[in-house]
Amino acid sequence: MTGSLSVLGAGLAFGLGAIGPGLGIGLIAGKTVEAMARQPEMAGRLQTTMFLGIAFTEALALIGFVLAFVLK
Amino acid sequence: MDPIGRGVEELLHELSVMSVNGHPVAPLGGPFVITNYMFWLLVSLVVTVVFFMVAARKASLVPKGIANVAEAAVEFVRDGICIDVMGPEGKRYFPFVATTFFFVLFNNVIGLIPGAKAGTGTMSTTVTWAVMVFVVYNYIGIAKHGFLGYMKSFAPSGKVPFVLKVYVWILEVISHLIRPLTLSVRLFANMYAGHVTLGVFALFVVLLGEAAGAAKVAAVLPLAVQIVMYAFEVFVAFIQAYVFAILTAVYIGGAIHAGEH
Repeated sequence: MTGSLSVLGAGLAFGLGAIGPGLGIGLIAGKTVEAMARQPEMAGRLQTTMFLGIAFTEALALIGFVLAFVLK
Repeated sequence: MDPIGRGVEELLHELSVMSVNGHPVAPLGGPFVITNYMFWLLVSLVVTVVFFMVAARKASLVPKGIANVAEAAVEFVRDGICIDVMGPEGKRYFPFVATTFFFVLFNNVIGLIPGAKAGTGTMSTTVTWAVMVFVVYNYIGIAKHGFLGYMKSFAPSGKVPFVLKVYVWILEVISHLIRPLTLSVRLFANMYAGHVTLGVFALFVVLLGEAAGAAKVAAVLPLAVQIVMYAFEVFVAFIQAYVFAILTAVYIGGAIHAGEH
């Protein structure tokens, strides 16, 4: 019984943990595209900053992913 | 157990750390063994060295073939990562950043060969690199500003209440201490999750292919997804190497320019 509950917890840890970063990464990419459309000459620097932002946001989802394996 | 559960179990076992001949490894304090991940890490190191030695064999003004690829990659790290992020003095730290970039890149890419393993797909490798980056950038900051100056740079300067300064300083120290954790977990989890995803879709293809009668045709669907995922994983291998190198550059840049904000 406890085993199946921990599997449920692992699923929830990853599923809920993916919501926030998913929204965040979508916002980052969307805003970057918007900015690039406004100022195409800034595209290079915007891209670098976008990848940095995505990397930081993604870390939260990955912590959930690792936690899911720990709980399993 | 159902066939899917058995397959996933087998997949996770395949991805776990074992000695080269398939024996389990004691977590800590056991005798020294070459694990499967260490073996592929060494392979990728050899490939890296051979690649750059072949590329550097014939230096010419107009590079051709493999030398051209190597030159474009090195130039990308120097201009696109070091100088872009750290400014002109970033050239000094180019060797370190380039080493991290190519180490991670070659490990990631070699891990995509079926049967091979990514050296970066285990926590021990990524934690080692992340801790090394942590030590290096803090050393650079302390060497440049002195220990007290570096510590002071975490707090905001100017007309700020003392309590707020202490508060921000504590937050900054915590964020610095978390850096090696996120740096290592990001790379490891991306590689591990990528390999698990590829494995699960491969499992679906095999299970549906073994099914009786017309159900066999359905195996085409996971196969198509598998091909797309493989392309995506190649992309991820490059992006993660880029992110790892650029974060290294950002951390070193932050240490050089500490106290200027």
